[in-house]
Amino acid sequence: MSLLRQAADWTRHHAALPLLAALLVVAGLVINFLGSPLLVNIFTFFCVSLMMVIGVQVFMGNSGILSFLHVGFVGVGAYVSGLLSTAPATKALGVPNLYPFLVDIQIPVLPAIAVGGLVAALIAVIIGYPLMRLSDAVAVITLFATLIVFHVIMTQWDNVTNGPRTFFGVPEYTTLIVALVAAVGFLLVGYWFRESSVGLRLRASRDDRYAAAATGIHVMGVRYAGFVLSALMGGLAGGLWAHYITSFSPKAFYLTEMFLLISMIVIGGTGSISGAVIGTTLVTVAREGLRQVEAFINNARVLPFEVYGLTELVLAVLLVLVLVWRPAGVIGGQEIGVRLLRNRRALPQEDVPTD
Amino acid sequence: MIDLEFVINTLSLGSLYALLALGLVLVYGILKLVNFAYGEYLTIAGYAIFLSATALSFPWWATMLVAVIAAMSVSFLTEFAAFRPVRSKSMDAMLVTSFAVSIFLQNLVLIVISPRAKAVPFPAFFSDTVTVGGATVPVRNLLVIGTTLVVLTVLSIVMKKTVLGMAMRAAAGKFETTRLMGVPANTVIAAAFIISGFLAGTAGIFWVGRSASVDPITGSAPLLIAFIATVIGGMHSPVGAVVGGYVYGLLFNVLSITLPASMISYRDAFMFAIVVLFLLFRPEGIVRHGYIEERVG
Amino acid sequence: METMLRVTDIHAAYGAVRALHGVSLEVAEGEVVALLGVNGAGKSTTLRAITGLMKPTQGSITFRGEDITGRKPESIVKRGLSLVPEGREIFSTLTVEENLRLGAYVSYSRETYREDLEEMFELFPILKERFTQAGGLLSGGEQQMLAIARALMARPKLLMLDEPSLGLSPAITDHVFELIAQLRERGLTILLVEQNAERALEVVDKAYLLSNGVVEASGTAAEVKAQVDLASIYLGGEDSDGTGVGM
Repeated sequence: MSLLRQAADWTRHHAALPLLAALLVVAGLVINFLGSPLLVNIFTFFCVSLMMVIGVQVFMGNSGILSFLHVGFVGVGAYVSGLLSTAPATKALGVPNLYPFLVDIQIPVLPAIAVGGLVAALIAVIIGYPLMRLSDAVAVITLFATLIVFHVIMTQWDNVTNGPRTFFGVPEYTTLIVALVAAVGFLLVGYWFRESSVGLRLRASRDDRYAAAATGIHVMGVRYAGFVLSALMGGLAGGLWAHYITSFSPKAFYLTEMFLLISMIVIGGTGSISGAVIGTTLVTVAREGLRQVEAFINNARVLPFEVYGLTELVLAVLLVLVLVWRPAGVIGGQEIGVRLLRNRRALPQEDVPTD
Repeated sequence: MIDLEFVINTLSLGSLYALLALGLVLVYGILKLVNFAYGEYLTIAGYAIFLSATALSFPWWATMLVAVIAAMSVSFLTEFAAFRPVRSKSMDAMLVTSFAVSIFLQNLVLIVISPRAKAVPFPAFFSDTVTVGGATVPVRNLLVIGTTLVVLTVLSIVMKKTVLGMAMRAAAGKFETTRLMGVPANTVIAAAFIISGFLAGTAGIFWVGRSASVDPITGSAPLLIAFIATVIGGMHSPVGAVVGGYVYGLLFNVLSITLPASMISYRDAFMFAIVVLFLLFRPEGIVRHGYIEERVG
Repeated sequence: METMLRVTDIHAAYGAVRALHGVSLEVAEGEVVALLGVNGAGKSTTLRAITGLMKPTQGSITFRGEDITGRKPESIVKRGLSLVPEGREIFSTLTVEENLRLGAYVSYSRETYREDLEEMFELFPILKERFTQAGGLLSGGEQQMLAIARALMARPKLLMLDEPSLGLSPAITDHVFELIAQLRERGLTILLVEQNAERALEVVDKAYLLSNGVVEASGTAAEVKAQVDLASIYLGGEDSDGTGVGM
């Protein structure tokens, strides 16, 4: 009886995880079976985006600090993994000013991705130490400024990144199945962190920093942990992304991409992993649709000039509309399982405590 | 090395940065909103000069007037159309909205005008140089110092002597109580955005004047400068913003002189490292302020 | 006597926390009414709802025959309803003069402004001395005087005071209550929120006792005094530390 109840309780509270993972796996396998290159491409991108968004959620969703920096860690992961795994001959050709010791290194893709994640995490360890002391507007501004610094370094350090030019020849590795497995893994990690003791304390500090500190929570410490984990996830996602796209430039890790990640997490709701999944899905679908429209307009020459940026323009409007109507995201900051199973007399939307 | 030329150049850079920072802080003070779209108001000012000079053949002074008015209008419009509806939601909702507005405006000019940079005509005297006390300086640098002095003086009179100015100062600390005096929330906030737009437009003229060109992301660099200057000076007071702007100008020029040539492209990164170190010891900025955060609802 | 303010069955909540479960009260013209109760009873929430700082989820508020439920605070002030907020809420970086000038935001006209100022100087001589000083430099008692004067500058028809004696020394508390009596003499209608029930009941005509978001007792000052164990309210208030939802 009590065992049954415990099981029921567990399902009630953690239904989201198996549900989301199952949905993801089924969708991935179906698309893989169908084999349509367009769908496979979109779904693989979706999985990698989802990994990035979960990485954002781990820090931002739990700590309440809006971080624009995440895409910078993605870039670190992409460059490190690319540099370590690309063939020396290709690198010598593609990055003429590359430091000699980096030219000669070549390790297999998987360890290269792992090292990329670790380097991102290490950077987070170093810069997080001062940054995690900050709160509110100053924290947001500083994290944003840090992204700009990352960007400056990526575009200027041509001994490593080839400067603003394209870095190419990264070996292909990330298939749909690889991305799917990794995304499910991230789902587990994101969920685990949210429910872990550190995650719980971090969420407490988000809801009330002073009260949390007063109950003995080391606010800076738990934030720091979330930040480093988030950076690690960002770096790993960046590595997988690099081995899918195979060539990229610093532009890929800047404001436009960060805007997409922010749209995904905000539209879904920052407070939950389910929100990350739903937001990533909606934005991916909207973005692909808008790109088709943009391509159609440009191909059909409907307008006398080429249209760029329509996708971002419309997404920006959609994002503001979501914020006006459902400020806590389309699912209101909860995990979907909880929402499906709970009694419908829910609390007012924007004030729902997110757990 | 510290000669008159250095002093004038630093003052002019500091003045520009002070205008930038002040425009950001005026809105922050009242709404507690870090406005990521602020840089785009400068971009708009640049395009306004470009369009009014090329398409409409306005004289130079009229193009500048148009630039300031355009920045003010767009600032007000973003408040009205985007920030007002989300104001009562949450802090993050406003921040994300301002990021979305920034992306929206960038892509709007990209679609409507061009992704490529446009040359912006400025009068010839702008880039002339004059000799002051043995130092050769561009007229533009003297103009920005003079303009900033006038703008800061007028603004401080407005803030001290007019009721709207008093209301804005009051609202920066106690927004709800200001409403309890009968001051409409929308009026105060709209006024803050319009003044913020005015400062962005004025700074935009000089910012665009340095390179005489404008592109969709012209606003990114001045936004970052305004951010860093406000963090240095303190987010909570207009005086802090101005001080932060001048301190930043000084730091920037000192770094320009002292950094080896190979490192100059990393100047922004160094600037930022200094700021982070600074924050470790003084997270509230140079100018402290007694107010406690209050969120506008 | 005509009813000036009528609050009918209002409910209000801070997010998921319900603070008011149906509060009704009436204030007639010329009357001084007290709203009593411990911390967290819903007194301040009631005032926030009346002033428009928060929207009641249910119920209605009428002022001088007009429905003002859910209106913006600025438009409610314009109709003649002013609040002296809890904790005084002086604009600390503004001078005393500027505080008073903002107080007169809705009533300002060149002719009346000077007169009103003179009147405030008469009521609160200290403000004349401190006229050009920053509000934040005033002592607690002086700030309370300024807060009341600032509210009066709006020429309100109904003045609401939220815990005017909170955090003040006994001597200054006496002064505040004398002042309320004085304003009452002038025929001003007043709604007074107080934890110090005993003191409040000395100066009011009528009182409502709030408890957990509902009106527990009401009547004339004498009736309420007879009905309720005042010590329990008073001590209850003293014990709590101000973290209740009724803040």
